[in-house]
Amino acid sequence: MKPWIWGAAALIAAVVVPSFLDPAGYPIRVLTLTLLFAALGQAWNIVGGLANQISLGHAAFFGIGAYTSTILLIHFNLSPWIGMLAGAALAALAAYLLSFPTMKLRGHYFALATLAFSEVLRVVASSWTSVTGGPAGLSVPYAADSLALLQFKSTTPYYYIILGALVLICVVFLVIQKSALGYRLRAVKENPDAAEVIGVDTTRVKITAAVISAALTALLGTLYAQFTYFFDPEAVFGIVAISVRAAIIAILGGAGTLAGPLIGAFVIVPLEEFANAALSSRAAGLSQLVFGLMLIAIILVEPRGLLVLVSNGIARLRKGRKG
Amino acid sequence: MAFLQAVIDGLMIGGVYAVISIGLTLVFGVMGIVNFAQAEFLTLGMFVAFFAWKYLGIDPLVGSLISFVLIFGLGVLVQMTIIQRVLNAPPVAQIFVTVGLLIVIENLSLIAFGSDFRSVTTSYQTSALRLGPLFISVPYLAAFCMSLLSGLALWLFTNKTWYGRAMRATAQDPMAAHLMGINADRMRQIAFGLGVGMTAFGGAVILPYFTVHPTVGHQFVVLMFTVVVLGGLGSVAGAVVGGLVVGVIQSVSTLFFPIQLQNLVLFLVFITVLAVRPTGLIGAAR
Repeated sequence: MKPWIWGAAALIAAVVVPSFLDPAGYPIRVLTLTLLFAALGQAWNIVGGLANQISLGHAAFFGIGAYTSTILLIHFNLSPWIGMLAGAALAALAAYLLSFPTMKLRGHYFALATLAFSEVLRVVASSWTSVTGGPAGLSVPYAADSLALLQFKSTTPYYYIILGALVLICVVFLVIQKSALGYRLRAVKENPDAAEVIGVDTTRVKITAAVISAALTALLGTLYAQFTYFFDPEAVFGIVAISVRAAIIAILGGAGTLAGPLIGAFVIVPLEEFANAALSSRAAGLSQLVFGLMLIAIILVEPRGLLVLVSNGIARLRKGRKG
Repeated sequence: MAFLQAVIDGLMIGGVYAVISIGLTLVFGVMGIVNFAQAEFLTLGMFVAFFAWKYLGIDPLVGSLISFVLIFGLGVLVQMTIIQRVLNAPPVAQIFVTVGLLIVIENLSLIAFGSDFRSVTTSYQTSALRLGPLFISVPYLAAFCMSLLSGLALWLFTNKTWYGRAMRATAQDPMAAHLMGINADRMRQIAFGLGVGMTAFGGAVILPYFTVHPTVGHQFVVLMFTVVVLGGLGSVAGAVVGGLVVGVIQSVSTLFFPIQLQNLVLFLVFITVLAVRPTGLIGAAR
């Protein structure tokens, strides 16, 4: 089958599925979260996968999105749709400014710098109580079901809005991948020095990708805030909760591929939710522990992700049958 | 006078930062790996010293030696079973293996010890030495002296013993070291063990004035990065100077900013150094 047939089939399934589920039930919540984190992984994939710039700080942009729209909503009664754009613009600006000191950095150094950036925003969010609510976090005021205010009692509308966001980010990813920018990013990934020599403006290429990725991540931050109605600094600026999760979702499935974050999210998010529901009362931290162990295991077994692992497995099976 | 007092406090705590961060820089120097889980070993070191105090009645300053030994052993094991396998892997694998380790250790301690805040009580906890108008807190001074001693011990080890020289040789050129009959894998195990052991030791000596809980490591992440980047990743001497500088910056900045924004000031230092001179401002870059 051609890849686009897979894509179309998955999309049709995604559109149809909610009609079989209870709109206030648990399964659709898990599915919605899965789509949200798939989208987050895909946004990370634009810098982490295509350019191989390992960001450990995407929570910075996610949190900027969540806080910007929510603060605008609380204080100025501004629609989250506009707040979302404001958050995306702010995140893009932050990514642009951050890129000046970090663009020359590679590998470990880049990861260090991005992680430190998001940590500092977390600390600012925890201490600037008058604006951010401090460690206690912020609640999104609920008035009534309203598309303009992006709030609903039922989960189904969120599901479709977040599905829309996921499709949007996947399309952006595909367009970048197939465009000149995508080829330049790949050149940067394979050999930055050689790319520079043949005339690729590597700094500009990386900044463009970083800004796009940051803006998309901020959109998701707003959607997350509207969906959960409540968040605190740890939930949106957390290293493990957001930054590491975004990266792992992409890496587990296969970084740099369109399908990677989708596969990663559909493995990790339901598993985590299931573990939380089944174990949390007995031992806090157990599902996170499993999460960490899975991460170590996938890196040691096949760092290129499940996609490669599965296709290698199939290839080996076929070979075995012939022989 | 408040300024001088802040500088003294900063130097005292900076000495501890130096020891904590030496571990990070040592591992990077020998293996080229940034251990993102480094701060978790500090948490473990604090827990070991806490339980040694609680059940055996051992003062944390002495218990720090137990912390060092146990976490050294754990580090050797981690190196043998996990880190060794990603030595030649791309950076993304190296980064996420230690990030995975961070998640595992943090949640294991959450499961094992619960999320309670724990602290020790010692006789010298609230006492201070008076030097004219200035005060030096005794637990700060004790932690500083212990850090000084451990730094000295590490220096003697790396410069005066065969193992230390072999370790440095491995850092410079693993292949050449191997040809000289040095077991490079063994040296990496020692380096990783020493690295996390020193950090655990640093965690234990601050126990008299610091509360321990499973996520206490978070508070030290940005700080450790700043110290090692300031001193040049991989440079032990740089980490010592970097630790003292960061301690003073942090302490003095509280005179001008709210205490919660200490990390912001550190981050600005960190990002500026990265932008201007990623090999570090102090110490010889390798």
